[in-house]
Amino acid sequence: MWARVKVVVERFLMKKFLIGAVISALGFSLITIGAAPANAAGSTGRSCAQEGLVRKLSGVTYTCERQNGSLKWGEGRKLSGSLTVVCGATEAWCGAMTSAFEKRTGVKTSFVRLSSGETTARLEAFKSNPEFGVWHGGPVDGFGVARIKGLIDSYASPSRNMIPKNYKDADGYWTGVYVGALGFCSNTEVLKELGVAVPTSWASLLNPKLKGQISTAHPATSGTSFTALWTNVTRMGQTAAMAYHANLHKNVLYYTKSGVGPVAIAGRGEVGVGLVFSHDCVYGAEQGFPLKVSFPSEGTGYEIGGVALIKGAKNPEAAKAYVDFTLSTEAQNLGVGVGAYQILTNPYARKDSRMVKLAKLKIVDYDFDKAATSKTALTAKFDAEIINRSQAKS
Amino acid sequence: MKSGRLELKGLVKEFGKGQEVVRAVDHLDLVIEPGEFVTFLGPSGCGKTTTLRMIAGFETPTSGSILLDGKDVSSLTPDKRPMGMVFQSYALFPHMTVAENISYGLKVQKLSNDEIQKRVTDVLASMSLDNLANRAPNQLSGGQQQRVALARAMVVQPKVLLFDEPLSNLDAKLRGQMRAEIRSIQQRLGITSIFVTHDQDEAMSVSDRIVVMRNAIVQQVGTPTDIYRAPNSVFVADFIGRSNFLKVTDISSSANGSADVTSLGKTFTVPAHVDAKAGNSLLLVRPESITVSRQPIAGKISGEGVVKTVIYYGEHVEYTIDTANGEIVATTSDPSPAEILAVGEKASFSFEANRAWLLPKA
Amino acid sequence: MALKKHGAKFDIFTKVAIVAVVAIISLLIVVPVLSILFESTKPTGTNVFKSVFSNPVIRGTIKNTVWLGISVGFFGTLVGFILAYIQVRVEFRGKKILHILALVPLVSPPFAFATAVIVLFGRSGIISHDLLGKTPMLYGYPGLVIVLSASYFPVAYLNLVGMMRSLDPAIDEAASSLGASKFRIFRTVTLPLLIPGITSSFLLLFVEAIADLANPLVIGGDYMVLSSRAYIAINGEYDVSAGAAYSALLLLPALLVFIVQRYWSQKKSVVSVTGKPSGQIAPIKSKVAKAPLLIFGWSVAAFIVMIYLAVILGAFIKILGVNNTFTLDHYRYIFSGIANDALKSTVIMASIATPLAGFMGMVMAWLIIRKLKRGADALDFLGMLGIAVPGTVLGIGYAVTFNEPLKIGGITIIPQLAGGGAILGGAIAIMMVYTIRSSPAGQRSGIAALQQIDPSLDEASASLGASGSRTFRKVSLPLIKGAFLTGLMFAFARSMTTLSPVLFIATPETPILTQKILAESDSGRYGPAFALCTLLIVIVLSVMGIINAAVRGRGSTEFKTTLVAG
Repeated sequence: MWARVKVVVERFLMKKFLIGAVISALGFSLITIGAAPANAAGSTGRSCAQEGLVRKLSGVTYTCERQNGSLKWGEGRKLSGSLTVVCGATEAWCGAMTSAFEKRTGVKTSFVRLSSGETTARLEAFKSNPEFGVWHGGPVDGFGVARIKGLIDSYASPSRNMIPKNYKDADGYWTGVYVGALGFCSNTEVLKELGVAVPTSWASLLNPKLKGQISTAHPATSGTSFTALWTNVTRMGQTAAMAYHANLHKNVLYYTKSGVGPVAIAGRGEVGVGLVFSHDCVYGAEQGFPLKVSFPSEGTGYEIGGVALIKGAKNPEAAKAYVDFTLSTEAQNLGVGVGAYQILTNPYARKDSRMVKLAKLKIVDYDFDKAATSKTALTAKFDAEIINRSQAKS
Repeated sequence: MKSGRLELKGLVKEFGKGQEVVRAVDHLDLVIEPGEFVTFLGPSGCGKTTTLRMIAGFETPTSGSILLDGKDVSSLTPDKRPMGMVFQSYALFPHMTVAENISYGLKVQKLSNDEIQKRVTDVLASMSLDNLANRAPNQLSGGQQQRVALARAMVVQPKVLLFDEPLSNLDAKLRGQMRAEIRSIQQRLGITSIFVTHDQDEAMSVSDRIVVMRNAIVQQVGTPTDIYRAPNSVFVADFIGRSNFLKVTDISSSANGSADVTSLGKTFTVPAHVDAKAGNSLLLVRPESITVSRQPIAGKISGEGVVKTVIYYGEHVEYTIDTANGEIVATTSDPSPAEILAVGEKASFSFEANRAWLLPKA
Repeated sequence: MALKKHGAKFDIFTKVAIVAVVAIISLLIVVPVLSILFESTKPTGTNVFKSVFSNPVIRGTIKNTVWLGISVGFFGTLVGFILAYIQVRVEFRGKKILHILALVPLVSPPFAFATAVIVLFGRSGIISHDLLGKTPMLYGYPGLVIVLSASYFPVAYLNLVGMMRSLDPAIDEAASSLGASKFRIFRTVTLPLLIPGITSSFLLLFVEAIADLANPLVIGGDYMVLSSRAYIAINGEYDVSAGAAYSALLLLPALLVFIVQRYWSQKKSVVSVTGKPSGQIAPIKSKVAKAPLLIFGWSVAAFIVMIYLAVILGAFIKILGVNNTFTLDHYRYIFSGIANDALKSTVIMASIATPLAGFMGMVMAWLIIRKLKRGADALDFLGMLGIAVPGTVLGIGYAVTFNEPLKIGGITIIPQLAGGGAILGGAIAIMMVYTIRSSPAGQRSGIAALQQIDPSLDEASASLGASGSRTFRKVSLPLIKGAFLTGLMFAFARSMTTLSPVLFIATPETPILTQKILAESDSGRYGPAFALCTLLIVIVLSVMGIINAAVRGRGSTEFKTTLVAG
């Protein structure tokens, strides 16, 4: 008797639950449908002041685009959740960028600073379950490698239009956010003690008096260091470049992991010269280190620091919005405030006297696509022929 | 009905494994009656403590069983057995006061606070510890610690009280006092008690019965008088008190607990162990049964020898006498100085036949 | 050590405790280590093993690792021994200060030493260059030996001080009454008796040195060791199998040495059997012997003081040695976003893991000393694996094991605990690492405490009807509370300062302080690195202070004497 009652009661409750679930599901979809037109009714299509501008209105984020010659707010994005950026620039710069984005959009944004090679390797390791949404900063040679390995996606950001052609990938896989030139970062006090003049040529780095007095990063982990390697390959051909680096190796104290490392090592006087991007050296000198920037007369290389969408990003809308944001004037202007003196790719961004003037330098004809395709093999060769050979000897 | 009847059945305990097996207790059978005070006595390593720990539950018997009031408790953990234990080191909890130590077991039993209070007060009073209730154990003397340990074990009203050499850390005088106290409390409360010691005086003075153990095996179970006066082996005789063993050349007849024996060239009748047979027996004579004199004493069995050593203790004199039978030890009580023999003197030693005991050698 | 153990049937609490700790340890360390071995058998891993014989680079790396271990073992033990000898046998003013200074490196964050040594004694070091006009080459072997010996000698010091104190002075007195001179006694009596302690210190330092990752990364230069090689394989090349293979190579000597060390330290009991010293050892009075010893002792102390001054001052100075103006920029910088989250998450995780580790260590100690008979040694060994396994190996093991959910037959048994996308941002795996790395400290101090406490206390409690858990809570735990809290203190310090195991499983959502210090010092921003180190030291010291106060508050003096006397 009681068992029967129980069964009936249970069935009744079950039915009620199902009905409730259906009703709430219906209600939810109605709300969402109703919300969509509200979006369109927001800012989309209205005119805006400056290309690339990002703004948030009642929970929806809009980007200012150039449409048929006039500036209008684009499709709105309702952003939520969180985003993790793998960042190749300095911690301060990465921090400023991500927190500005978080403030602008409400997306909880964190970052991990990794060198170029580390990023590629990590993206590859977590290919099936990507940790990151965006790769931001670091020479695009690495982005090229990532594209070849299928780790990044193309994304036609509306803000890309304003970026000069030579600073973006034709297929939309990466877009340049800054440009930097490779230079020598000399500690004037150390060089004075050594009796060596501030180096102004690649050849002068081979001076035997500079034994153990040069600091550079490892080209496998650091994009900076790979830029140097590729610059020399462009300048003198692969065989001669390898021979040059084998000679240079005798003067290298040790290879750091990240490309910025040598600035501080030279700054503290552990070595006489660091091989770095000049803007990092400018910042070091500004911090009070006795550092002086110089450029090789034979010609130097340069980097385009890129931004790209990670393939399979968890929160693609937020990731895309972040890419848009990095190209905006607002974002690019953040750099100078945190000691990042790269040349900016956004034509409307503020110029600063501390930025290097590329026109005044002799620049090698740096082929980013070729650099990317050659990168893996070349760094392996560097490891085998230069690093390992000397390790085996010791 | 009094409870606390303990039955040990075929108790065996082995340690180690493989070829290294050591048998600590070998087929022990024993029944301890309610209210009885039984002492396990034996040299160290004889298995007495292991037996006690098996009863308490700290060791698991390899085989055999332990029954308390007819119920098998062998598989119970120590906390499930209604027994109290007093440890050699007292094992007072150093972070609790005397009162807290004593109330520990009562709290485990979840008694009401009033009940705990009452019982603790009572036991403190009965052990004259009342003014020490709030002291820490390390502020007590050895004897006081001992009392607290006893109080703590008793207050939970166990069916069996176990004592693991509880007096060995006390000085001689205190030890005597404490054992009298333990005995009187035990008799007052009528708790079945098992006491482990290697000290024969202790065993003799407190026990209803003594279990003498050696090499894992029970040698003899009996009242103190039995054990002392009628030991069943040379070992027991030697372990309890001091002994002289005289060679026996012939046993002519033995029955009803007595036998006709020939020793020291004489034939006489002595009380005898049932297993004492011709060719395997010795005659035990305790030193205090022997009188040493210059002349043999008429009516007693006597032999001859030369005084080897004389030790004067005041209330008695102890002689060692070289005889054809080997050395004989004899004590003479309340000797007058003139009667004391000198080293090198010829001496007679005499004893009464009914004070001797014929026992099997092995 | 005439400790009797229960041969009784285990009560339910004991059984549950045994099963629980074995399960926890298996999950926390055995499985990760086995995963490493499994992972290393994949192709790129076996390549590493094969090339041990063919590739001189890998052989060189192994040789470097072993040589570094031997050097640090030697120098660290030497420094520890001399300081211990001074502490126990020489009478002088400031003994206590020297003792504290000798222990200070125990709470140093990774990198603090390496970066400070570079600033002070590097090529342009404040002392080496600016003061003495020298430009020493620190990167590589010499720098590593200096920094590692300085960081780890306190382990040897503590070990040897304890041992020297427990030597029975009567032995010395006997030798001297037989006509031996002080030096002869030292050579023929003291030293031989201390050999087990010296050996075990050497081996402990050997393991610490070869397991260290932080210092090879900062000051190692081109001197490649297995731990940094494994790091590069995993974090640079993302070749997990190769990394696993390198760590398997590292695991082998570490475990071997650990086992030998256990053997040696057990021999120690030969010395301590003599019991409590009956008298006072006559201190060394001869000026000829005293002077060089004291000069050495105070030099070491001065070195440590300088290192810490450099760290603390460096945090408030623009660029120490280059631009010596006072600034708060470094703090402003780290609090502008670098440290906030890391500080919060590290402290929270350490605070959760520390009591867990302490509790587990105590349960382990209790089982080992009081409950288990046959399995005690095995359990002790299992528990100590947490520190025997090098941090690098542990971290890689966690990355390999917990970066993916464990599924059996399509059902998730354990969700993904480590890496990006893990539940709670990978915090669980990090806390697991903290726990297993720290519980050995609790276990050791628990064992030491329990060995001094009469085992019949437990039996008394049981015979009064208390269950196993009640006995543990009401008797054992209160008695080892002091040790428990001390264990906790070290556990917390260890968690806060640990780097190598968590480096491999740290995620963007769960940043860790030490990882931030690595990032800062690797990029050469020593100011912020010093600021982070100072922060870490302050946190660790204040927690230690709180715990210390708690110990004092609870354990009245009478209680402590009971412990010793009991």
